[in-house]
Amino acid sequence: MDRRNFLKTAAGTVAAGLATPAISQRVAARTLRLVPHADVSNLDPIWNVAYIARNAGALVWDMLYGIDSRLQPQRQMVESEEVSADGLTWTFRLRPGLRFHDGEPVRALDVVASINRWAVRQPMGQMIKARENELVALDDRTFRWSLKKPYPKMLLALGRAGTPCCFIMPARIAATDAFRQISEQVGSGPMRFVKDEWVPGARAVFEKFAGYVPRPEPPSWFAGGKRMLVDRMEWVTMPDPATAAAALQSGEVDWWELTLPDLVPTLRKNRNVAVDISDPLGWFGFLLFNHRFPPFDDVRARRALLMAMSQQDYMQAFVGDDDKLWKPVPGFFTPDTPLYTEEGGEIFKGPRRLDAAKRLLAESGYAGQPVTCMAAQDMAHHKSWGDVTADLLKRLDIKVDFVAADWGTVVARRAQKAPPRQGGWHIYHTSFAGADCLDPTNAFLRANGNVQVNGWADSPQVEAEISAWYEAKDRDEEKAAVRRLNKAAIDNVVYAPLGFYLRHQAWHKNIAGVVQGPLPFCWGVSKTA
Amino acid sequence: MLNYVIRRILATIPVMAVVALFVFSLLYIAPGDPAAVIAGDQATPADVERIRASLGLDRPFLIRFGEWVWQILHADLGTSIFTNLPVAAMIAQRIEPTLSLMAVTLVFAVSIAVPIGVVAAWRADTIIDRAIMAFAVLGFSVPVFVIGYLLAYVFALQLDWLPVQGYTPLSEGLEPWIENLILPALALGCVYIALIARTTRAAMLEVLQQDYIRTARAKGIGQPGILFVHALKNAAVPIVTVIGIGIALLIGGAVVTETVFAIPGVGRLTVDAILRRDYPVIQGVVLLFSFIYVVVNLLIDLLYTVLDPRIRY
Repeated sequence: MDRRNFLKTAAGTVAAGLATPAISQRVAARTLRLVPHADVSNLDPIWNVAYIARNAGALVWDMLYGIDSRLQPQRQMVESEEVSADGLTWTFRLRPGLRFHDGEPVRALDVVASINRWAVRQPMGQMIKARENELVALDDRTFRWSLKKPYPKMLLALGRAGTPCCFIMPARIAATDAFRQISEQVGSGPMRFVKDEWVPGARAVFEKFAGYVPRPEPPSWFAGGKRMLVDRMEWVTMPDPATAAAALQSGEVDWWELTLPDLVPTLRKNRNVAVDISDPLGWFGFLLFNHRFPPFDDVRARRALLMAMSQQDYMQAFVGDDDKLWKPVPGFFTPDTPLYTEEGGEIFKGPRRLDAAKRLLAESGYAGQPVTCMAAQDMAHHKSWGDVTADLLKRLDIKVDFVAADWGTVVARRAQKAPPRQGGWHIYHTSFAGADCLDPTNAFLRANGNVQVNGWADSPQVEAEISAWYEAKDRDEEKAAVRRLNKAAIDNVVYAPLGFYLRHQAWHKNIAGVVQGPLPFCWGVSKTA
Repeated sequence: MLNYVIRRILATIPVMAVVALFVFSLLYIAPGDPAAVIAGDQATPADVERIRASLGLDRPFLIRFGEWVWQILHADLGTSIFTNLPVAAMIAQRIEPTLSLMAVTLVFAVSIAVPIGVVAAWRADTIIDRAIMAFAVLGFSVPVFVIGYLLAYVFALQLDWLPVQGYTPLSEGLEPWIENLILPALALGCVYIALIARTTRAAMLEVLQQDYIRTARAKGIGQPGILFVHALKNAAVPIVTVIGIGIALLIGGAVVTETVFAIPGVGRLTVDAILRRDYPVIQGVVLLFSFIYVVVNLLIDLLYTVLDPRIRY
């Protein structure tokens, strides 16, 4: 026994008798302390589309459908659905007994209001709304969505894991404008948000909701019975990864959602700590071009970079030398998932061709102007990729104006349509969850000339193939569309994927039931003192 | 004296007004857009504009500044863009850890730095003096976060004597409160000790050359009496001044210390707010820190009259 424990035990024994530690242990066993990847600064998962709002939101709000670990949408709040033969009318029936945290029953009216708010902010929701005849509650448990044109991806849209998720709120809350924050966090999910104990930037607390009605199936990601095996969760924000690692090793926290690759070897050495892949769907690194200004308004200049870049360099710069944790990706879709394809990806393969890239760049008319390359230095991965790109540009004899700023500045500057020398930009870096690259629904792939996050990429061919995927009636049609899309997006260099990588989660061995997934699924996780 | 105090308190009003204008203007021209951060990657430019409008960020500078000043005059620091909570409530949640950290650091640093500064002056140019000054140089040179990591590694991870991180409110007991503050205060205190010890040494060296010290020695007063009664009191003005100036150092250091030890204080609130461009929170926190600094300076000026009766206002 070390000195600290000796003193604690001695003091406890003298002051409160032997019963106190036992009570404390039981209380501790009922509280799960998680270090999330970011702070829960806001808990409106529609207004705030950050992953952290979704992750915390999944505890508080339930969904009509949920994606399981096989990436299939499964019924969650819905008991049954019926679609007419012409695909124009969907009728949904809710499970009986669903209740919100305030004790009110979940009604179809609440669902209609929630869908309406969600659809304002979610691109698939916007598409369905554009085809909508009416969305109406038929009775307390039944609602109908009638369309002018079939929408084959209906269940995927309602159950998708990408932000914002279609969380169901009471109608009075869901009536809030989607561009304004809600003021009450009342859901029908397995945990209740304890607003009184919320310290933004430090701690968010959730308590088990006794009125939650889990499905009978075993839990699987967003689907199945979300049975909470702890009474209370504390999400403790730790901005410094070294502190989080130390706190986990000392047992002050139980679970760390996303470790820093550099700290994994240290954690593995601790016999009380378990380390595993966090999300098998992983992450992508992206390099985005501004398609509006020279040199990258010319596809040849963008291709020159693809020709010269080594995804291995990018991945090693952040993830390290363990090649089981990363792989090059000659395309835009998550490896080992149904729509993954390498169609058209030859440019990423084989030895890097620096000389050929220089020639292509010259053909594009590059005239020696400085290229503004942005990287967020408050995000270790973005900064390391920015450094690799700056080096690559220099090796291509491109003059580099390297802008290392904080993410807030990068986000604001990437929205600027002004020329790079007047506050605009040429290149920036970001990362994106593999869970959002399972299909072509993410904004980065859009090429309609109106999307600022990918530098206003413009390619009718890419847009046509995205539409083909939306209209596909079966998996074969989807795959064919995605193969064509992958090739078109590479040919037009909508953006440059920098590689696919995995990260680790870690937990103290006093907890059990942790699964791999796109977020820390807390249901099914138990803790012993 | 009373007139002086009233004059100084009144003088803080224009100072705070200038700070307010400066902070507001700085944030207005600084790059970054909270609406773009909130909107996320899937948002259209129209979405960003709607969020900006809902936050009132699309209105002209003067109108926004005028509204903010009006709120301040009504003791309302506004509402956080991100959390939707009143800024005053957010600061209230965070002020105790920061004040606790600063207070413990101050007590710890002064109680170490002043005696070693006195000893260094007494044993000037000896090995003791050089060792103390070497420690002072080290304290200045090693970044707070490095000291923090070292302390956490040794005392929390290896020896398991103290917690790695967090904060326990004083209301939950003195022991857990101080347990959480020892390592952060040690880390933060190193720079402060170095600063005060060097100043104490310099001030004491000057005083120890004075005629009245020689007289005291001639009267047979012992060394401790000479050092801590006669000399230290007369060297106190520059020491107190540097302690006051050091408050700014503590505020800056608290930002780093709170991050390393995951203390939910105002320092971390400030950094989070800056990274998110949460303007009302940044403005509120900077105003608060400015006010604290002005008040501390006023208190130190008043303390001069106690320490040196020759000073009159």
